[in-house]
Amino acid sequence: MELPKSGVLICDDSLCTGCGVCELICSLFHDGLTGPALSSVQVVHNPFTDQVNIYACQQCDSPSCYLACPLPDQALCIDKLTGARYINEDKCTGCELCVDACSFDLPRVRFNMDKSAAFKCDLCRGRETGPACVEYCGYGALRFIPRDER
Amino acid sequence: MAELCGWAGLVLWVDLTSGKINKIPTAEYEPEKFVGGLGLNTKLFWIRGCPKIAAFDPENPLLVSAGPLTGTVGPFSRGMISSISPQSYPDELFSYSSFGGKWPAQLKYAGYDGLVVTGKASKPVYLSIEDADVQINDATHLWGVDTWATGEALLSKDMEAESLCIGPAAENLSHIAPVMTRTGNTAGQGGFGAVMGSKNLKAICVKGTGTIRIARPDELLRLIKLMAEEKSVGGSDLMPDLRKPLVAKATRDELVQKYRTRFSGCYGCPYQCMATYKVPKLGTGAASCAQWVYGAYDSEDAESIWEANVLMQKLGFENYSIEAILSFLYLCRKEGILTENDFQDLGIPLCKFLGGKASGHEFLTSLLYAMVDGRSIFSNGLPKSIKHFNKEAFQTYRSLYTAHGYSIHHHETVGGALHWALDTRDTSPSAADEMSFMYAPHVAQYFGVVGGESTHNQPENTTYEGNERNVAFSVKHQMLRNSLTWCEWHSNPTSFLKPPEMDIRTLESRAFSAVTGIDNNVEEIWKAGETIWNLRRAVMVKREGRTRKEDMIDDVHFEQETNIATTLPLDFRFGYGVRRGGPLDRDEFEALKSRYYELAGWDVNTGWPTRAKLEELGLKDVADELAGAGKSVE
Repeated sequence: MELPKSGVLICDDSLCTGCGVCELICSLFHDGLTGPALSSVQVVHNPFTDQVNIYACQQCDSPSCYLACPLPDQALCIDKLTGARYINEDKCTGCELCVDACSFDLPRVRFNMDKSAAFKCDLCRGRETGPACVEYCGYGALRFIPRDER
Repeated sequence: MAELCGWAGLVLWVDLTSGKINKIPTAEYEPEKFVGGLGLNTKLFWIRGCPKIAAFDPENPLLVSAGPLTGTVGPFSRGMISSISPQSYPDELFSYSSFGGKWPAQLKYAGYDGLVVTGKASKPVYLSIEDADVQINDATHLWGVDTWATGEALLSKDMEAESLCIGPAAENLSHIAPVMTRTGNTAGQGGFGAVMGSKNLKAICVKGTGTIRIARPDELLRLIKLMAEEKSVGGSDLMPDLRKPLVAKATRDELVQKYRTRFSGCYGCPYQCMATYKVPKLGTGAASCAQWVYGAYDSEDAESIWEANVLMQKLGFENYSIEAILSFLYLCRKEGILTENDFQDLGIPLCKFLGGKASGHEFLTSLLYAMVDGRSIFSNGLPKSIKHFNKEAFQTYRSLYTAHGYSIHHHETVGGALHWALDTRDTSPSAADEMSFMYAPHVAQYFGVVGGESTHNQPENTTYEGNERNVAFSVKHQMLRNSLTWCEWHSNPTSFLKPPEMDIRTLESRAFSAVTGIDNNVEEIWKAGETIWNLRRAVMVKREGRTRKEDMIDDVHFEQETNIATTLPLDFRFGYGVRRGGPLDRDEFEALKSRYYELAGWDVNTGWPTRAKLEELGLKDVADELAGAGKSVE
């Protein structure tokens, strides 16, 4: 089964200051809260070595999170417009199989304890101007590539 | 009950003597009135009775607070430390110092608006706060370790956590020892590092996995967007400068090209006013402004300039206090007040700016290591060293001194000088409003204050008439932004000047409402600033016997012009710190002070807040207590 491709966030660590505005904007836009614990984009900053890494969902062509979900297209869904692999938290049972399935060492699918549901980058589904983190990053460290250009 | 927005909800109390840990709802400390940060710290100190104890008394509370905006998105990740200050001079005053980075936001994510540390541990400890889990852990292995290695040792397992720590200087109770974060952000003034040292408290680590609820997310998103789009942000104007070393041009370019790796700054702040430098063998760190002080003395040696910063940070000395010592040494050498033999006795090798051949490295290590272990008379800062010198040296020292134990900085306006006189420390890093008005007369005009005095092109400075309005504006604003918390560089009146929405007062009021859900307007939120200022004044009056007489800066400023430029070997390219047009006029200054007291609702004879003013601000209990202490103006 071939899944529709998705747009994706491209991160340039060399431009990132580690300010975390993207993390806070993500949690603010999606949940009305601020805090990196509820952000889909994750910034890890080691000031001792000057290492800054941005970890964003790669919206994989063959998404292991989607493939692991017991309720595909209900809980873990694919957005028709952008192709984003997103979580419908109303249907998510909180089984965390998608979190475990994510193929990255730092899983891009995370878990919201308060809602007992998984969450991940949905490329700000429905937001007219695209992903909010890209728009609010003042340093050009995040770019959005639509699926047609990927 | 509606969910709490903005504030985290708890104040954490830790007593190091008993090991007792308590969590008290923030609501008990009237956050709607005292906001957070500096306001919360002052309220906590007031309810503890403003004890007349020494800075190193175990019962001196170390107060560390964030505000309702801290940890949300914007230039808000500031924390505020208050305590009885060992740096104050001649008396130890209850003072404050702010710091940035990510620690303040983490405190909020862990669930706390403030932290109160009392007592003294029986051996070196560090405090570990991980959400609800608070532990006092052994730090014997870290005692004597520099601040960078301490941060790394504490955080290497978990880069999500943050630390506040002290270096060897603070362990040895140096009065100019700051509290350091892992990112070059420092609570510099006050000597609060030494307060931690006196408690055997090496570090405070914090990690929070919680979040802050925002009452009106869409409104906050809109305001942040507006701020980002506003190009003439006072901070942004400064940004290209602050992200470069403040040193001579050729050296600046060298440092930028060879060693600067990225911009950096506080968590959640779009402006990132620092930059990270990676210098082989010397170390990697972030810097902005005061970190470059050595650049004015050894302007061509890029590596020594960086080494000076790294050494000050690692050992835990406050850069600007070191700068005063450098100025003093430079001037005394230049004017022949201190001879080669004197320098030999002081154990200070003569490097280039002192007319000798020693390397910057040799000079810096000799001076700073001797200061760390108390062998140097400069260990507690310049003001406390001066009794060791002759009369001529004392005159030189005076030309560098302002008040309350701090050396000259920005107080080139008449209002700035009065502001400093009224406070408990060097106000410049914490109150740049007067400077804003000085450089931007049109902004001053918009805000109805005096402006345009003492600029480079306008030699006559001495506008006394109306300057009481500048001081009234500046002190209230200073209290407010240190309580919200809102970075002082990014809340200058010159920032965001696109009225009506981008008037900084309107923006602050709207951001506060968007985050907390409390509807208010400029008048109401500024009343909070005035309330905090009056409570701080009540602390000064009750604890420290503050009167009109102590609201003063050193006599030298009534005898000669303030001119930092003459104290440096290198022409400082900003030409800052210069008050042209002669010394302050004593009669005019006293008349200005009287007009300020009247405007503030304080008694003109004593400088004490009147009962009418305190009651107007909802501080009747404070008025009653002052009356009980015989310090009431009915």
